[in-house]
Amino acid sequence: MSDEVKIGVVSCSGEDCLGGAISRLATLKMLNEIRPDETVTICLPLFLAGGEEERGFAQSFPTLAVDGCNKLCAKRATEKYSGKVSDAFDVSDLIGKETAASKPLSTRYLTQEHQEMVNKVAKEIRIRFEDILMDYYKNAAQRIKASGKTPNCGCNCGK
Amino acid sequence: MSSMSNKVKVIPCSGMGKVQGLVARETALKVISELCPNDAETVCLAYLVTGDDEAKDKIEGASCLTLDGCAKLCAAKNVELAGGILKKKFRVVDIFREHKGVKPGSATMLTEEGWQLVDELAEKVKKNVVELVREV
Repeated sequence: MSDEVKIGVVSCSGEDCLGGAISRLATLKMLNEIRPDETVTICLPLFLAGGEEERGFAQSFPTLAVDGCNKLCAKRATEKYSGKVSDAFDVSDLIGKETAASKPLSTRYLTQEHQEMVNKVAKEIRIRFEDILMDYYKNAAQRIKASGKTPNCGCNCGK
Repeated sequence: MSSMSNKVKVIPCSGMGKVQGLVARETALKVISELCPNDAETVCLAYLVTGDDEAKDKIEGASCLTLDGCAKLCAAKNVELAGGILKKKFRVVDIFREHKGVKPGSATMLTEEGWQLVDELAEKVKKNVVELVREV
């Protein structure tokens, strides 16, 4: 893995309920606005429809699963076909179970209230993302220490 | 039919990274919520991917229409794997080809032109739903 680690954020498809739509929009906000250079994602169904490269996603990237309901499809499918996730949460714990289970949302009818839910979930993604990132660097430093080797800094300073 | 409902299943791809995926998703939502609420419903594709028996029960033996945003055809492939009867695969890329030069928006938000594509594709899907309902 390169020095610039990327974190995978995997959202459920969320066609069945509002929670899924919010999960999807918050993941896209993370991907496009909050941490565009450090976030990667994958369409969940690609674990089955794609190839080895797609199934290797959770081994290639520390991964956060974001689910819209308590079926936890993003977490369970990622762990079934790709690898263990670093963290996961259910959007319904943030916006309320009843609200999350309400009918699916078209972005045509996105209200200020929905946008606030998206922002709340995106904030939670960012917090967990930063924890995963911190753990990754902590573990990397421990691995280097254990190996007894000094990392090559990549410039010509001779270190 | 092991499916709990006889409604035609209209299933879009997850479409996370591309505008084509959002068009697929919005089209399916329009069909099940506005155009054919009594004859069509969706099943969350992510739930099918988990491979749960309950998810398979929802789709096994049911007439399905899929909407895919890209050439990987995730919705169509996953529906077939789950035992759904795939009546037609819609590819969003085909409707984009019919409207070269349009600016449909992004994976997050559609433009007015993007919504026009959704409305047009939804009418095509509706036609198929009506035909399938007549067949039963």
